[in-house]
Amino acid sequence: MMAEPRSQDVLEEGVHLDAASDDAEMAELRSLLLGPAEGQIAEIHERLTDPHRQLTEVSTVLPDAIAVRTRQDDELANALGPTVTTAIERSVRKNPQPLVDAIFPVIGPAIRRAISVALSGMVQSLNQSMAYSFSVQGLKWRIEAWRTGKPFAEVVMLHTLLFRVEQVFLIHRETGLLLQHVVAGSAAVQDADMVSGMLTAIQDFVHDSFNSPAEEQLETLEVGELTVWIEQGPLAILAAVIRGTAPQELRPVFQETLETIHLQFRTALQDFSGDASEFDGARPLLEDCLQTQVDQDKQAAAPNRFPRSLIVIASIILLALLVWGFFAWRDSRRWNAYVERVRREPGVVVTDAGTRDGKYFIDGLRDPLARDPQAFLAEANVDPKTVVTRFEPFQAMSPEFVLPRARRLLEPPPTVNLKFDNGVLEAEGFASLEWITEMRRTVRFVPGVTQFKDENLLAVDRIVNPSLLFELDKTEPAPGQEEKFKQLMADIERLQKLAESMNKNARLEITGHADGSGSEERNAELSRGRAEKIASELNARLPSKNNLTIVAAASKEKLRAELTEADRAANRSVTFKIILTDAR
Amino acid sequence: MMSERNIVQKKICMLGTFAVGKTSLVRRFVQSIYSDKYHTTVGVKIDKKLIDMDGTQKMMMMLWDVEGAEQAHELRKSYLRGASGYLLVADGTRKETLYRALEIQTRAQDALGLVPYVFLINKSDLVDEWTIDERELEALVEKGWHVIRTSAKSGVGVEEAFMALARKMMEMPK
Repeated sequence: MMAEPRSQDVLEEGVHLDAASDDAEMAELRSLLLGPAEGQIAEIHERLTDPHRQLTEVSTVLPDAIAVRTRQDDELANALGPTVTTAIERSVRKNPQPLVDAIFPVIGPAIRRAISVALSGMVQSLNQSMAYSFSVQGLKWRIEAWRTGKPFAEVVMLHTLLFRVEQVFLIHRETGLLLQHVVAGSAAVQDADMVSGMLTAIQDFVHDSFNSPAEEQLETLEVGELTVWIEQGPLAILAAVIRGTAPQELRPVFQETLETIHLQFRTALQDFSGDASEFDGARPLLEDCLQTQVDQDKQAAAPNRFPRSLIVIASIILLALLVWGFFAWRDSRRWNAYVERVRREPGVVVTDAGTRDGKYFIDGLRDPLARDPQAFLAEANVDPKTVVTRFEPFQAMSPEFVLPRARRLLEPPPTVNLKFDNGVLEAEGFASLEWITEMRRTVRFVPGVTQFKDENLLAVDRIVNPSLLFELDKTEPAPGQEEKFKQLMADIERLQKLAESMNKNARLEITGHADGSGSEERNAELSRGRAEKIASELNARLPSKNNLTIVAAASKEKLRAELTEADRAANRSVTFKIILTDAR
Repeated sequence: MMSERNIVQKKICMLGTFAVGKTSLVRRFVQSIYSDKYHTTVGVKIDKKLIDMDGTQKMMMMLWDVEGAEQAHELRKSYLRGASGYLLVADGTRKETLYRALEIQTRAQDALGLVPYVFLINKSDLVDEWTIDERELEALVEKGWHVIRTSAKSGVGVEEAFMALARKMMEMPK
C-alpha cells in the first residue's frame, strides 16, 4: 500500500513535464527511454490499483505464506486464535447445525472412549476385589485394610500393582508454582501447591549443594515404595509420583509430554504471572501419564486357580458340615430317646443328663433290682464309650420293686407264693415251720411292706413227720394214735385246698420206717407194710382225693440213732414227702 | 486439582537475617504442612496462603520462608528465583539486623530486579527495647520504602504487611 502513492506521484510528474515542453519531442523521447517498459508500467499500475486483481494475487500466495510462517513460530496461531474463536461462536449462534454435523462423527467415539476408560478402571478394581475377596491372600489383605483403614480395593490394588503413576505435577520452573496437578483415583494427596514449591526448593537445594552443572538436575527421589521422577524442561518441570517399580519406558512418555506442553504453552510459560488456569488445556496430556500396570500373573492366576480350589474346599467343608450335622442330629435324637427310655424304666430315677467334655452323661438313682440302664444303650444305638453313667443305689417303693425285694430277702421255697398288693404282702403255700418262723421275723424289714398275711401258709412239718407210731414188729399203728391221724388228715385236707388254689396237684409219698431190731428183710416188709397201711387208711378216710395222689414206699433208713427205747419207738413210723406238680 | 478462576499464584520470599521472626510471622499468617526443621535441612520452608483481594480476585501466596543468613552473600539465589515479591524482615530490638536487611535487599534486587517488597520491623511488642533509630526508618520511607511495624507475638501488622505486598504485586505490570 505504501508503494502505490509514490508510483502515482512519478507518473503525474511525467504527465506534468510532458505538458510543459514540446509534445512531440517529449513523446518520442519517452518512447525511446521507456520503450518496451511502457506497457509493463501500465500493467503494474493496473495491478496496484485494481483491488480485484490484488485479491486474486494474495489468494495465490496465502496458503504457502501460512505454511512458511507456521514453520517459523506459532505467532500465526496466536493471531488467528481469537478470530477463529469468534468466528466459531458466531457461526454456532447463527446456525449450530453445521457444527453439530461436523463434530457428530467424532463426538460419539470420544464419549465412548471416555466411558470405556472410566468403566475399565471400575471393572479392574471390581475384578480384583472379587478375585481376592475370599482367598487366604484376600483375607490377609482384608485384615490389612481393616488395620490401616484403607478401602479393601485400594489394598488389593497396592499389592497387585507393578507400578502406578499416582500424581503428576506440572511446575513452573522459574517460580516453582504449580501449573497443573492430576491424581490417579484414590491416591493420597498432600497439598499440591506446597509440594510443588518444596520439590522445586529441594531440586535447587541439591543442585546448589553439590555444585552440579546447570543442565544436571535432580531426576529421581525415592521414598519407600514411592519414586518421584522429575523431568526438566527449560520452562516447566514435570514431576511424577510413582508407586511400585516403574519401567524405564515411562521416562520417554514423561519427556514427550513435557515437550508437547512446551510446544503448546510456550508463550504462557514465558509470560506466566500466576494464573494457572491458562494451563487447563495441559490436563489431558498429564492424565495420559497416569499409567497403571498390575501384575498380570498374580491377577490372571487368581481368578482361575482360586475360585476352583475355593469351590472344592467350600464344598468339602459344606459336605463335612452336613455329614457332621446329620450325625450330630442323629446322635442327639438317639441320646434323647435313650434318656427317655431310662426315665421310663421302673426303679431308675434320672436326675441329670446331657453332654459334658464332649461326652454324654446320665446321672441318677437306681434300685439294685432295676435293670441296668446301660443295657438299653445298645437298644438305643448309642455307643457306650461315649457315655458316662453314674447311678447311686436307692430303694424304689413302687409295688413292682417291693415284691422282688421281698423275694430276695425272704428266699421263699418253691412251694410258697408271695403276693403284694397295696402295701400288703401275702404268703401262701406251704413251707417248713422253720422258714415260716424266720419269714415272719424278716418280713418286717422289707421296705414297702406295711402288712403281712400268712393265713394261707401251711407249715408242712406235721405232714412230713406226723409222728405216727407203730407197735414193735407190727404194721398196725400203736394204740392212741387216732388224734394224730385226724390231725394228719386235717393237715392234708388243707394242703389239698392250698394246692388247688395254687392250681397244683399234690403227690404224697409215704415212706415207712422200722427200728434197728429184727432182720433186714423183715424190716423192709414192716416199712412197706406200715406205709401201705397209712396210705390205705388215708385213701379210705379222706373225703376227697381230687388232685391228690398217695403212694407208699419202704425205707431202710432210720429216722434217728437208736440210743434209747424211745428212739426205737420213734423210728417205728412213717414220713411223708410232698411233691407238687402243675395241675392241668 | 483444577485451578479456580480468578486465582493468581505468586511466589514470595521471607528474607532477613537470623532470629528476626520470619518463621513466626509466617506461622501467624498461614497453616503449614511442613515442620520448621525444613529450615535447617533444606534451608527453606514453603507454606501457602489464599488471600481474597477484593471479592473477585484471589491470590495464592506461596511463601518461601528462607533460612536466615548471617551474611547477605550466603543467601541462596536459587530460592529467590521467580519470586514476585518479598518481605524483608528486621528485628526492632537488634539494630544490626536492619543493616543486614539492607544488604539482603540489595542482593535480592540484584537477583530479582525491581519486584515489590515490604520492609517489616518485627517485635513491635517490645518497643521499649527498640534500638532502631526512627530517623533511619523515616529515611527509608522517604526513599520510597514501605515500612510496617509488626509483632509476630501479638499479630499486629502481620496481615497488613502481607496484604500490602499482595496489592503491590497486583499493581505490577506483567
